Order: sequence, then C-alpha cells, then structure tokens
Amino acid sequence: MGNPLLVFWKNIFGEDDDRPRVRRATFRVAAHSAAQASATIFLILRRMRAPLIVLIVIFSVSVLGLTLIPGQDADGNPYRMGFFDAFYVMSYTATTIGFGEIPFAFTYNQRMWVTISIYLSVIGWAYAIGSLLSLLQDRAFRSALALQHFSRKVSRLREPFMLIAGYGRTGELLGHSFDALGRRFVVLDRNSERIDGLELDSYHADVPGLAADARDPGHLAVAGLGHSSCEAVVALTDDEEANLAIVMAAALLRPDLPVIARVTSRTIAERMQAFGSPATVNPFDRFGDHLRLALRAPASYQLMTWLESGPGAALPERGLPPRSGRWIVCGYGRLGQELTRDLRAEGLDVTVIEDHPADVGDADLLVGDGSDPWVLAQADLDRAVGLVAGTDNDTTNLSLVAAARRSNPELFLAARQNSAASAPLFAAMEVDALLVPTELVAHEVYAQLSTPLLWRFLREMPAMGDDWAAAIVDRLKGLCGTHLQTLWKVRLTAQEAPALGSWLGSGEARLGQLLRNPEDRDDPLHALVLIVMRGREVTLAPDDDFVLEPGDELLLAGWSAARRALDTILLVHGVLEYLVTGRRVPSSWIWRKVSSSGSR
Amino acid sequence: MNLEKVVFGFFVVLAATLNFGFFIGDIDNPELHNPYELFAAVVVNLIATVLKFGDRTQIGAVHLATSLVADLQLIGATLMFGYATYVSTAGMNEAWTASVVSLSGGALLANVVSVVLLVVETVSFHRG
Repeated sequence: MGNPLLVFWKNIFGEDDDRPRVRRATFRVAAHSAAQASATIFLILRRMRAPLIVLIVIFSVSVLGLTLIPGQDADGNPYRMGFFDAFYVMSYTATTIGFGEIPFAFTYNQRMWVTISIYLSVIGWAYAIGSLLSLLQDRAFRSALALQHFSRKVSRLREPFMLIAGYGRTGELLGHSFDALGRRFVVLDRNSERIDGLELDSYHADVPGLAADARDPGHLAVAGLGHSSCEAVVALTDDEEANLAIVMAAALLRPDLPVIARVTSRTIAERMQAFGSPATVNPFDRFGDHLRLALRAPASYQLMTWLESGPGAALPERGLPPRSGRWIVCGYGRLGQELTRDLRAEGLDVTVIEDHPADVGDADLLVGDGSDPWVLAQADLDRAVGLVAGTDNDTTNLSLVAAARRSNPELFLAARQNSAASAPLFAAMEVDALLVPTELVAHEVYAQLSTPLLWRFLREMPAMGDDWAAAIVDRLKGLCGTHLQTLWKVRLTAQEAPALGSWLGSGEARLGQLLRNPEDRDDPLHALVLIVMRGREVTLAPDDDFVLEPGDELLLAGWSAARRALDTILLVHGVLEYLVTGRRVPSSWIWRKVSSSGSR
Repeated sequence: MNLEKVVFGFFVVLAATLNFGFFIGDIDNPELHNPYELFAAVVVNLIATVLKFGDRTQIGAVHLATSLVADLQLIGATLMFGYATYVSTAGMNEAWTASVVSLSGGALLANVVSVVLLVVETVSFHRG
C-alpha cells in the first residue's frame, strides 16, 4: 500500500460489489435535498426582478430627460448635457450625495426635471432596498441559506464524526461528553431553537446543526449519512416513529454504519430489529435491569455504577435492597409496566397504584391517585419493602417519596426524575435509586460509542455472579483506592505495541509477565485488566496465566503512572526482555552493537 | 396568451433591434451612429437581463449568459464613447467610432443568439 497510485486505483476499483451502489443512492438523496435549497434561491432571484427593473427604468428616464432638456452655458449660449454628465449628475443625486449643478448652473427647466427625478429615484431605491431586506428576513430564504451553509460545512468535515438526530436534553449531554473527548458530531433537530442554542453551548469544536425533520432521508443525507467519515448514527428524538424512520434510512442507505436508537416501547424496538441490527436503548427497560441487578447482585451493581461513572468517581456504597417482601409501584406507565414485570420476575409481590383501572397481570392493583395520603395509607406502606415513584410528574414523585419515607423510613425508594430542572430536589431527597431517562440514554450511548470495550464488560459482567464482582471491586479498591483512576484501552498490534514483536505470537506470552514494573520486575504494575477481546470473543478479568495473542484488545483500570509504564513496555525495545528474562538489554544502537559483538 | 411571455419576448427582441439600429451604417462615420440609440440599447439590455434572472432551465441559463455578454459589450462601448467625447483630445474621430461600433457589433451577435434561443424555445414548446 506504499504506492499512492495503487491506493488510488484500489479506492476506485477495489471496492466491494455493493458499496458503490449504496453510496450512489445516498448521493442521489443528498443531491435532491441540495437542489431544493438552490430552487429557493432561484425563486428569490425571481422576486428581485421587479424592483431591479423599476430602478433601471427610473434611472434611464431621468438620464434621458437631462440630456434632452436644453440648458445654457456660463455665457448664456444654448447647451445640451452629454450622456456622461447626465449619468454623473443622476448618480450622485439619486444616491443623495449631491455635488451640485455641473458643468454649468442649471436652467429652471432642468431644475424642475431634476426635482422630479430625485423623488422618483428615492422611491426606486426605497422599493429595491426594501424588497432586498424583506427577502433577507424571508423564512424560506433563510432556511435555504442555512441548508446550503450546513451542507458545505458537513461536506468539508475530514475527521470521523457522528450524526446525532434529535438534539434534546439527551443529545446535549451526549454532545458535551463527545466534545470533551475531542470527537466531532453533526446535529439535526426539528426545533430551530435547539439548533440556535448550539451556538450558545460552549463546544470546543464547531458543531454543524440544521433545523430540519430527521425523518426525511434527504436531510439525513445532507447531514452526512453518505459521507465517508461518518462513523455512527444516533437517533435520539422524542418521537418513536421518527427514530424508527432514522434507523430505516441509515440501514438502507448505509448498512455498514452502527446505529443507536432510543426507544421506549417494545414494539418499536422489534420493528427496528428488522433493519440490520441497530442497538436500541430503552431507558425504562434498562432501569428495570439495573434495579433487578441491584436486588439480586448488589456487588455487581456497585461495580457497574462505579465503572459507568467514569474516572475520578468515588466508589458508591453497596446498597442492601430488600430481597424479599412487597413492592409498591406508583404509576403504571411505561416505567411502571417494565418494573412490575421485572420485580415479578424476581419473585417479589407488587402492588400497583394507578389512576385508571389497568391490566396489571398477576400484581395487585389499587385504583386511585398515589399522591393522595388516603390511597397511600391503603397500600399498607408499613409492611412494604420498597416503593417506586414512577409517574411522569416530578411533583407527584417527590411528594410520594416524602410521604412514603415519613410513614416507613426503612423503605427502599426508587424515583423517576422527568425534568432537568428538578434535579437539585431529587438530589436533596437522596433516594436509593434514581432514574433520569435522558441521562441514562446519554450514558448508555456514550459507553457504547466511546469505549465499546467497557460497554461489553458491563454487559457480560452480571453473568459472572455477585461474588466475582465483589472480588473485582476489592481488587480495584486495592489498586486505586476509593476513587476510580484511569480507564484505558490497549491494542496489541504492530502499530500500537511494536516492542512486543514476536513474543506475542510465541504462544508463551503470559499476561502476568507483561504487567510488571519496567524499573523492577519483581514489582507488579498497578493496573487491572478488566477485559480482553479477541475477535468477537471476550475474557473478563483474565488471570496472570492468560496467554496473549497478536490483535488482542485490552481494557485496563489503574493509575496513570501504570499507563505510562505500560506504554514504555509496549513501545521501547528491550524493556520486554528485561521483564521476561530479567536481563537488561542496552537500548541505544551503539551499545546494542557493542554488547552483541562482545557476546559473540 | 401569457403576459409574462409577451413582456419577455418584447424586451429580448427590442434589445436586439435597438442594438442593430445603432450598429448599422458605416463603421467609422460618427454621424450614422446615434448616442441615444446606444443609450436605449444599454437600458433595454439591462432590463432584459433582469427579466432572465431566476430561470432554472438549461435554456434559461444560456439566455442569461448571452444577455450578460451583450451587457458587457454595450457597457464597454458606452465607456469608450464617453472617453472619446470627454477625455480624448482627438474627440469622436473615425478610429474611436469604429471601436465603439465594433463593440456594439459583438453585443449584437450575443443578442441574435438570444433571439434564436427565444425562437427555439417557442418552436419546441409548440411541438411538445
């Protein structure tokens, strides 16, 4: 691949059979959308015709009049103005500059004509400038300009970028996380206020945004769906149908791209699965899973929340949720249904409190308003073990939590926070489990896209059991203390780990030999390998005898000093030999020559 | 009958005829080339150009291009005319007249193309 010409030919002819077809389809869609934009500009040009013609006519009539009206020179001889003089006079008169009467003082005849021309030209200018300004204010014109500006910015992107469709609270959180990582993204949202808000958000990189309906594949294409640097599509709109449409467009036009969509209903999630295999994030389902995990395996849940919170996070306390007893679920909406199903699956009794009679399966139903003290009293709080305040109203949820805590301080409290504005109130309430759907979706998407290895680890980890998780938490605590240090990824390839060379392929490459202090090999490196990925297979928390192979991907947790030390091992020749054999190898060229000739 | 088409055809043809009127006559004889006619040609050509704004078809684009060429040539001719009359010490002599008239001749060619396009458009419209 060293020859640029070969690369060039390969790029042109060497693609898979179906790739060009896909790309062409996307380009066609994009071109259609761009043509719509230019159509609007043609329409605008057309509307400027009348004012321009009026201006030309007024100007030419005035000039013609001046050349035809007889004047006098300084000596009183008859004189006719030439075209140039007339044009000159009219130009400065019409633009209200007014240099005076040249080349000779005007006669009354000429002055009368100039008076008329002044008023005419003022009307002409006012008309032309007024039309131009009203065009600039025109919505269609502005949106056409914005579309052109946006598509130019997107097509000039040379770094990999993500396409975020739907820039609500979730999109904003996700955008800020990715911006902090230095990743680029493009935003589509139907609401123009959200797009205007992009400029106020302090992003490091320029974020192209377009106020357009993401359900239109043309808009997606303009936003870079067909762009070769587009690396993922994220559908985060609050409209299920729109998310489905985005998944469909992405799957049909760019089947190779990873797609992540937010869903809240199982039907839509299943309909999405028909298009490729998009990753779907259902905040209510995921919260139910978390709650189940917290009930069944507190240590696994503790490890998960700790790692999900990212570097610098304090070790969360290991909660002790009640494993048996009766739960009360207030609000039987999407969250209530998911949680009731999950709790029932754990073998727990559930009492549902809901305004309207509903089919709650094998759980008890109490019809009434949960925030009504009388209804809550009927639910027999004293003998319950947990309460879920899961309505879509924050005030109701807060008062439910407060009332429940007053009547039974031992209750395990889970609450749902709907609006970002009530975050401080819920924080002050200190509930045991808090669901913020927007943040949960943002975290999930972030984990999937930024550190796929960590996400994989979190998905596989619950299957290993609670004791295993407790052991990992203890090891991490021993390494890092109570605050999580760095998490980083290492790929054992020729580019990223050149110093390992043939040792990796020897079949003798044990993990325990690699993770040693390069200064003193008796000292282990202060880092823990969380997961090793080989192809599609993963191994969680491998032990020291694990045999490494070329191409393995490792996710490590530990001090940043350990990260630097590992980088040294992977990059500097000779360090590995010391770690494996205990022999110091000279690293400079001269000493290597000298020592190799000495040993010969 | 479409009034817009009438106005459009009127200005395109008028631009060509005025241009022709100025152009015809001995090329170096200033008496045969009336400056008012040149003025009228410039104004009508400008109006014809503006009328051609905002047409997205291929033929519309060529229309606009020919008009822009004619404008360029005619404005060049008026600039030379003005220079000869007001600045040059020789005044409007034969050489200057020839330059002005030959420039307007170029514009005439562009205007003829414009008229041909108009005719082509009309004929193809009837066939379609």
